Amino acid sequence: MNTDNEIKIVDHLFRHQSGKMLAILSKIFGLSNLELIEDAVQDTFLQASIKWRNGLPENPEAWLTLTAKNRVIDLLRQSKSLKNRNANYKLDEYSKIDEVYMNHEVEDSQLRMIFVACHPAFSKEDQITFALKAISGFSGKEIASALLQNEETIKKRLSRARKKIKELDIKLEYPDPNEIESRISGVLQIIYLIFNEGFHSIKENSLIDKELCGEALRLTKLLLIKDNFRTGTLYALFALLCFNSSRIDSKILDGEIIDLKNQDRSKWYLPLIVLGQDSLRTAQMYSDRSAYHYEALIAAEHVKAIKFENTNWELIIKYYDEMYKFSPSINILLSKTIAFLQIDKYNQAKEILDLIKPKELNQRVYLYHGTLAEYYIKINNKNKAIEELDKAINSCKNNLEIKYLQKKREVLVKSKN
Amino acid sequence: MKEFMMIFIGADYEELGLSPEQLQERMGKWFAWSKKMGEQGIIRCGEALFPTGKTISGPNRVESDGPYTESKEIIGGFYVIAVEDMAAATKVAQDFPDFDLGGTVEIREVMKFEH
Repeated sequence: MNTDNEIKIVDHLFRHQSGKMLAILSKIFGLSNLELIEDAVQDTFLQASIKWRNGLPENPEAWLTLTAKNRVIDLLRQSKSLKNRNANYKLDEYSKIDEVYMNHEVEDSQLRMIFVACHPAFSKEDQITFALKAISGFSGKEIASALLQNEETIKKRLSRARKKIKELDIKLEYPDPNEIESRISGVLQIIYLIFNEGFHSIKENSLIDKELCGEALRLTKLLLIKDNFRTGTLYALFALLCFNSSRIDSKILDGEIIDLKNQDRSKWYLPLIVLGQDSLRTAQMYSDRSAYHYEALIAAEHVKAIKFENTNWELIIKYYDEMYKFSPSINILLSKTIAFLQIDKYNQAKEILDLIKPKELNQRVYLYHGTLAEYYIKINNKNKAIEELDKAINSCKNNLEIKYLQKKREVLVKSKN
Repeated sequence: MKEFMMIFIGADYEELGLSPEQLQERMGKWFAWSKKMGEQGIIRCGEALFPTGKTISGPNRVESDGPYTESKEIIGGFYVIAVEDMAAATKVAQDFPDFDLGGTVEIREVMKFEH
């Protein structure tokens, strides 16, 4: 034991280590033992949380992994199916697997686990949930609050994924070479969704939002390790996540949403911006193009503008058009509308708004009404603007967003008098 | 100087299903507390206990597993500290990390045997 009076433990060590341990132990003992492995990992953290109260072991990560490995062997010995000689022989073999091997294999195992999580046999929701559990080390409760779902739903998703793994005999392996491109694109989509879950769905507990964004960055970095996964698309996604992450601390101030126009740009985190710019340059050196490229280019334009007024909206509109070709979505149209409003092209803005069928936005319909309100503010029709803001407020479920919209409405009402 | 035993009851992490992140956070809090007491030089001893065990009771020495009916009654561990009086011991116990998880600290003065 390391008994000097310092506890030098990395933030999120347990959570991150949990993903590593699940991956490496699944590689050793097989993905079919996932549930048992999860139990062993949880037992190990319970032990550590008490045994380390007075000081850390020399190498905390190795202690955790070895303890968990031995715990898996214990649990396997206890389980009835393994009470025969062959199985015990195999367990003896397992117990010889050492620390060096495990350290060496951990990244590779985690990469494989990402592909398992994004297996096409799982629904998108199950993929995200399973990834947050098996790779990122969140508990069911934490996932529930991150995805704004109840814990029961998360439990069901996880058990559905585990069942599928058994039924389809999914192994901890990389996809076939001919599948790899489409599988990676599925992986990137999940990373993108995890990030946006943190970046756009503003929760009152903003800490968990930041952790989701951090996880998305971590997963992308993990993919970048491997030569043959590197594509322009992967670098573009990484650039996008860096740019957006750089302003995550400026988005909320004292429990209030601060929009792009009013954010304190001096607080945007420069190292992430630089990393994003590097990554975007690299992305453009590859021949492939994706929606991420254009979204990253747009984010880069925002970051470049010293003040909101300096934003190059014409260029951003062009990028939106390109992005729309790759992934036609109403969100892009709404964003484009906002861009037109910034450069006083009201007719173009209205033309797009007229094309949108608000119903298709489902629970995000408030974004449409909010944008329409913005349009009416610009053409100085305050009554109509207030009407649309009311619609937005009534269809919005997020307290912080409601507060933001209400504040806007107040200002508007005051300016009328 | 008198000695007091602080007995920690309830707040069983396993039962509560704490996540890895929460477990790490708990560990940090316990560490800070023991460090503080260590700096004050008041710790005489302290241990954590496994949640399972045996009880033996009655003239027939009846043995049974798991002494506890409910997890909130499980004794998780103890510290013996040397401080001025009960008031000072109570003050030390304010920093017990698991009150928010429903944990309890029982403080008992250690009786000194006459030699």
